[in-house]
Amino acid sequence: MIRRFDPTLLILLVAFPILWVLPSGLKSYGLYVVSLWLVMSIAAMGLNLTLGYAGLTSLAQGAFLGIGAYATAILTTKAGWPLPAAFLASSGLSFAVGVLLGFPALRVRHHYLAFVTLAFTVVVFLIARNEQWLTGGVFGIANIPRPVLFGSDLGAALPFYRLLLCVTLVLALAMWWLLKSPWGRAFLALRENPLRAASLGVDIRAYTLLAFAIGSAYGGAAGSLYAPLVEFIDPAPFALSASFVLLLTVVAGGAGSFFGPFVGAFFSYMLPELLRATGGWYLIIYAAVVLVIVMISPTGLLGLIERWRDHRSQAKAAAARAAAAPTLGTAAGGTDSLGKGATQ
Amino acid sequence: MITGTFTAAIALTASVAASLLALGGPAQAADPVKLIDVIELSGPGAPAGTNWKNGVDLAVKEINAKGGILGRPIAVTHYDSQTNPGATRAAVQRAVDEDAYVVLGPIFSGPISASMQITQRAAVPQIVGGEASAFTKQGNPYIFRTSLNQADAMPKLANYLRDEVKAKSVAVVWINNDFGKGGRDAIIPELQKRGIQVAADIATESGQADFAADAIKVKNANADAVFVYLNEEESARFLRAARQQGIAKPIIGETTLLGAKVIELAGEAANGVKGHVGLLVDAPKPGFAAFGKKYQDAYGFTSDHNGIKGYTAVYTVKTITERVGKFDREAFAKTLHGARIDVAQEPGILIDTKWLENGDVDRESFLVEVTDGKPVVKATLPMINP
Repeated sequence: MIRRFDPTLLILLVAFPILWVLPSGLKSYGLYVVSLWLVMSIAAMGLNLTLGYAGLTSLAQGAFLGIGAYATAILTTKAGWPLPAAFLASSGLSFAVGVLLGFPALRVRHHYLAFVTLAFTVVVFLIARNEQWLTGGVFGIANIPRPVLFGSDLGAALPFYRLLLCVTLVLALAMWWLLKSPWGRAFLALRENPLRAASLGVDIRAYTLLAFAIGSAYGGAAGSLYAPLVEFIDPAPFALSASFVLLLTVVAGGAGSFFGPFVGAFFSYMLPELLRATGGWYLIIYAAVVLVIVMISPTGLLGLIERWRDHRSQAKAAAARAAAAPTLGTAAGGTDSLGKGATQ
Repeated sequence: MITGTFTAAIALTASVAASLLALGGPAQAADPVKLIDVIELSGPGAPAGTNWKNGVDLAVKEINAKGGILGRPIAVTHYDSQTNPGATRAAVQRAVDEDAYVVLGPIFSGPISASMQITQRAAVPQIVGGEASAFTKQGNPYIFRTSLNQADAMPKLANYLRDEVKAKSVAVVWINNDFGKGGRDAIIPELQKRGIQVAADIATESGQADFAADAIKVKNANADAVFVYLNEEESARFLRAARQQGIAKPIIGETTLLGAKVIELAGEAANGVKGHVGLLVDAPKPGFAAFGKKYQDAYGFTSDHNGIKGYTAVYTVKTITERVGKFDREAFAKTLHGARIDVAQEPGILIDTKWLENGDVDRESFLVEVTDGKPVVKATLPMINP
């Protein structure tokens, strides 16, 4: 294969300055919504690794968002840690818990795994709600500080958004590197056929745990940014429904596609805000859009583009066949099957 | 592959760019006074939020029909908070960006806690419907209540349990959210101070459908009375379960338990329930009855206390702005601290109300018993510091 600049990397590097400059004219509400999009994209990126690439159905991403958010809130408000240190600690904690949660994934798959992770999410929610001495219980934790880095206060909406953008870029580059590395190939092998992967020497045990742990660490990292973004947390945003919405985000965006989480998070977290203009109808419209997307494209929004491309290349191939048919004369049937095979 | 990825990237960039334009829409600076109501229109708070929204709309319509505030009509916008702190924060942020004169709502305490720093930072007064005690303790000079703080109601209720009900032991049933937990944490010390034993301390879930197990626990506790502190729908479900289990001991509660929605949903099971109520349309005040009728005519159902809160919030904005004489947010907040609005001056306020320095309110309240599906006021309790 000819070595050339990877398009994914190119898009990331081109999108960064655009997203750096474009929202500068927005007021704090617009910036908040765009910031929320970035944070949830990070969480969805993690789930995309677990679900989309490694094929492990997890309903725990909302819980990891919560673990990250609570760890950061507690460390910054009660222990006085700076945000960067709390961010690393929260991501590390989520990684460690992710490894532990990965063990059941070694034994069960598909909807059984979904049930295991669902139970885990409920446990995390109950701890956040009932252990008031640590988490503030139902009263939550208020006044979570925004960071001051190298002497500059990043508390205002625009500087904080730009900080989030930088963190998102770094995490997206890390994910890009990971997916391109042999590890990424191993995750795909795990999803497609674990037995065959094992027979080719992929250590299923290690890769399953790793997929869970890295996906969880991304969830924790997102939570760690969510807490200072909202400046207040209580258990409600990390209940089971949060995990369902994140699952929807990954599926709607296109599971197993690099930019799927960004498209999905746009769909799940920005679209409802944009639809506010429709008054009382907005949740109905949003739900209807979800239904239509899942019905017409089970592979998500990016899957629609893939399908369109496949369709186009098939049409091209058909045109080529049609053009070639007269010269091949009676062998038309054989050409058809050959042609089809070439487009796959 | 490359074409596809690029197409995807272009589609994503285009949609993000389009949405950025939509999010950054121009702020309006037209003639009407802009009130933005961030309220629970979906999620667990929807019954309360809908009442509040209707109350706000009713007041705005009346005030506009009479020429508005200082000659300017009110333009009210409602944003759904989804009973979710993150969504509330976004909506309040939007309200501030859109240059709201005063932000109204929300009602649930979690969403209030998540959004009150934004209005404080922008120096925009926020009039909320929350009853949990925490948020007026933080020294925020821009937050104001429309109802009594739950911590103020509990001593009155504890006295009532000791003196009227003559209870020696009480089973406490509460909802495990910030509203219920706050109420539970406030009532239990008050009961203990008065030598009343807490026979059972039962936490229930928000959105819980079946209360049979909780009702059985209450029955087994065999207390002299049951104190119930749940949100609207849960209150109704608990009352039905309690009657099914044959609990005959007095069931006592605070405002929500005796709300119109609860009585409607619980039906027969609500009869005999007693308690302390801050606001209700059946209170012996002519303003309440008139408001209740207008509300019933406009929306086809009886307003609960949240409808009254929304209605009086708008009249509070009107009265205080007229006292200030201009549209000045800082002067508004300063004037409302320590202000007293009497029905004689502004009938729309419905009941004489005083605001304290921390944004809490002080006003008369009522002891109520549900008889034949109707809340009947048995006694009127005076202001704490008239």
